[in-house]
Amino acid sequence: MTTDTSTRIALPGGEMLAWSDLTGRRLPGGGPLAALAARVTPAGARVLLAGPHDPELVDRLAHADVTCLLRSWPDGSALAEDRPVRVVVGGPGGLPADETFDVVIAAAGLDAVESVEGAPVGWDGLLRRLAAVLAPGGILLLRLDNPVGLTRMVDTAPWYAGRADADWAVGGALDAGRPVNLEQARERLAGAGLRPGDCFAAYPEPAAPTALVDAGALAARPGSGLLDAVLHGACAPGHGDRPVLQDPARLAVDALHAGLGAALAPGWLVLAHRAAPAVPAAGDPPNPAGAAPPAPTAEAGPGGLPVLWVQTGPPGIGVVEVTAAADGWRWRVPGPVAAATDAPFATRAAAWRDPAVLTGAVPEGRLLRTVLLDACLRRDLAALRRLLRGYAAWLDAHADDAGRLTGATALASHDNVVLADGGPGPALNAGAAPAFAVLDPSWRASDPWPVDVTLARGLWRFAAALATGGYAHPWSSTLDVAGLTVVLAGTAGRDLDRATVTAAVDAEVAVTAALRGLDNADRVALADELRAVEPTAPPTGLDSHQQLREAWLRQKAELTRVTALLRWTEELLTSRERALRRAEATINLLSGSLSYRVGRLAITPARLAKRGARAAKRRAKDALAPRRDEQEQQ
Amino acid sequence: MHHANHFYGHAHVLARYCGLGDGHPPRINGYVQHGWNIGDGLAPGHPYVEGTPSLLWSEQTRRRAWSVGRRNVVVTGAPFAYLLALRADDPPQAQREGTIWYPFHGWEGQHVRGDHRELIARIRATEPGPVTVCLYWHEYGMRRVRRLYEQAGFRVICHGYRGHWWKDTDPLFLDKQLTELRRHRRVASNRLTSAIFYGIAAGCEPAVYGDPMILADEDPTFGGTARIRRQWPDLHGESVHLPTAVEIARAELGTDHRCTPAELRELLGWATLQEEHVDH
Repeated sequence: MTTDTSTRIALPGGEMLAWSDLTGRRLPGGGPLAALAARVTPAGARVLLAGPHDPELVDRLAHADVTCLLRSWPDGSALAEDRPVRVVVGGPGGLPADETFDVVIAAAGLDAVESVEGAPVGWDGLLRRLAAVLAPGGILLLRLDNPVGLTRMVDTAPWYAGRADADWAVGGALDAGRPVNLEQARERLAGAGLRPGDCFAAYPEPAAPTALVDAGALAARPGSGLLDAVLHGACAPGHGDRPVLQDPARLAVDALHAGLGAALAPGWLVLAHRAAPAVPAAGDPPNPAGAAPPAPTAEAGPGGLPVLWVQTGPPGIGVVEVTAAADGWRWRVPGPVAAATDAPFATRAAAWRDPAVLTGAVPEGRLLRTVLLDACLRRDLAALRRLLRGYAAWLDAHADDAGRLTGATALASHDNVVLADGGPGPALNAGAAPAFAVLDPSWRASDPWPVDVTLARGLWRFAAALATGGYAHPWSSTLDVAGLTVVLAGTAGRDLDRATVTAAVDAEVAVTAALRGLDNADRVALADELRAVEPTAPPTGLDSHQQLREAWLRQKAELTRVTALLRWTEELLTSRERALRRAEATINLLSGSLSYRVGRLAITPARLAKRGARAAKRRAKDALAPRRDEQEQQ
Repeated sequence: MHHANHFYGHAHVLARYCGLGDGHPPRINGYVQHGWNIGDGLAPGHPYVEGTPSLLWSEQTRRRAWSVGRRNVVVTGAPFAYLLALRADDPPQAQREGTIWYPFHGWEGQHVRGDHRELIARIRATEPGPVTVCLYWHEYGMRRVRRLYEQAGFRVICHGYRGHWWKDTDPLFLDKQLTELRRHRRVASNRLTSAIFYGIAAGCEPAVYGDPMILADEDPTFGGTARIRRQWPDLHGESVHLPTAVEIARAELGTDHRCTPAELRELLGWATLQEEHVDH
């Protein structure tokens, strides 16, 4: 520690000397949370970061005057070493009494401000202390974890069983001392003299969300293809993730469609304002203290904040925003966009991401994957035919003269395509052709792809999800994934063969390897894994109790079927063997009879003559053949 | 493969559609519904191996089959729908005349109760043009019955033997039926049966009238003739509304559910054949 550093660390008491909070998952650039924090912080503002935060978030606030309140001495010491910020290491009592801040950020929640030293202050007490240091016109950004959020629902360990070092006190829905839903949080904020503003649902985990979505937008657009794709993408578990009880991505999308996208979010980031009597704060409409908050704008974040931030795909692109404009939602990539045009040519990767194209409108409509799943579960084959034929025709329409697709359309799978007219309702079945659009056009294929490969890749991915996910689809369980892909293609009116499906799986391996940046060995392992996907196996990459049980039940049903089939085959074999023996007995009987022998004797000369004639004919043919060749040569 | 898959040369038609040629069809991994059915698509009393796919004609039959405990029920459409795809305009349909009349038949193990003479009188009184009577092979082989129709001045034919235990199936049964249907303007029967739906799909005007000839031991499980009349009243009568009939036949034969050849190969278990080509 340098002398300079020590002067920037204040120790008011209550510090934890052998404790660190910075052990969780971190996202490049601090992720969407850092983007939100940076957005609500005006230039030159005095900012208090109460509780542990990702150091990269601190970096994103370089335009402000930052003070960090941390309970952990090692964390505070390391932060002061690396970053030019003022650090206060101590309990909540360590907040400077005579100082106020324009922005107070408690994005680790209030519990993380509390120290083991000294008397616990409690949630309301902590909120009051933070509110007290908020300057008039200031903004509080507070994280609140959802005690019945979907993270807790899918967790294999019950929330009340926490016995880790951090669980010296376990808070949950039973604790009347803390808000357990958004409504209660807003009441508590108002009680602390603040005006609650809008709120962002944090997925998939509140500590390091990869997606922050405006709660009003979640309520207003439960069928949005964008929100569907974002929540599914954020919650889809990856390899090596901890086991879960059920697929959190399925649960998140179901919650969205039921209008519970905000209510079941793993956590929330709530904005609250201290009223400024005279001059409105930046980005905040004036509103007297104690007055009712403005009516929710439903689809726009507060004060023109984006509707959502999402971090997807390979690192480097950063966080992508979606903003609400008068004519709908629009993509936006904050900050300088790196020119990525040479990337695919440098690496020869099959796919790449071009953030520069994320400037246009976000196409509205339902996600094709969801609409297809719904039609499969309702066994609505007419709707499926209509959807898939429309999808195949749409791909055709984008192909060049050689029948090849380029750019974003080549990768247009069901999880990145929206159906503009809203699904297979009465309107879709009435005859209007479904209209499709690529949701996120930044995913691009490096080389042109045959239309059939794009179609087969999309259908294979859908078939794999359908079969391994245990969806009760309208086809036979005896189909393997390649077979189901061919059947889906047939539903789309295309007669695909298995060779095309194999090419599509190879393409999927190449795309996944490119997007995950896999080396050769990992790529080979991925190829083996994808080629071995079977309907009786659980989904790849998901260690879910529910899915494992379903896969076991499918295996059991398959064993029952095969056993019954074997029994039937045995019986049939016995019956056919019996029939064969009867036929042989009849033949023997007939061949031993007097009439047979007489008849055979009578036809023997004829048989011999026929055999001799054949031999003579063959000899004559052989003798003539070279002569004919010679004639031809002449 | 279950021997019922061979009835009426169904497996042969499907093999031709799948591009496997005219030879003996490979085993089918499932039960192909072999006739229009008001039950679960399978013939009552046939042995059933649990979990084996049922390849059914219509979505309605699929729902019904599911509701009575069948699983792995897949709608693929009737083999006749595949024959229509194979022979879209063969023979050409320009020359149509008269009526092809299918007196209701039981199968070999059943005995029909009814008065053929009364039925013949009804046919003569109703049908405007020449009449071809198509008898089931069982009745066609009964000289007494065949004579009755011949003496009435009708042309009497038989499409062939449906087959039993893989033996003697006429692989061209459906082909012959389609050829005959396309020669006639009307198709009629005393019961709503597969032939009526085939006739409608082949472009005939349908009619269902006359004594339905109750079977001596008719299986009442699914409601029998009375239910058929209740559920499909639009198809009964000497003259029915053609567009309605066409729409119903389309649904019952599952024409819209007809698979592509590659798709059908997968569903029948023919995509990765292990057996060599077997000649019949």
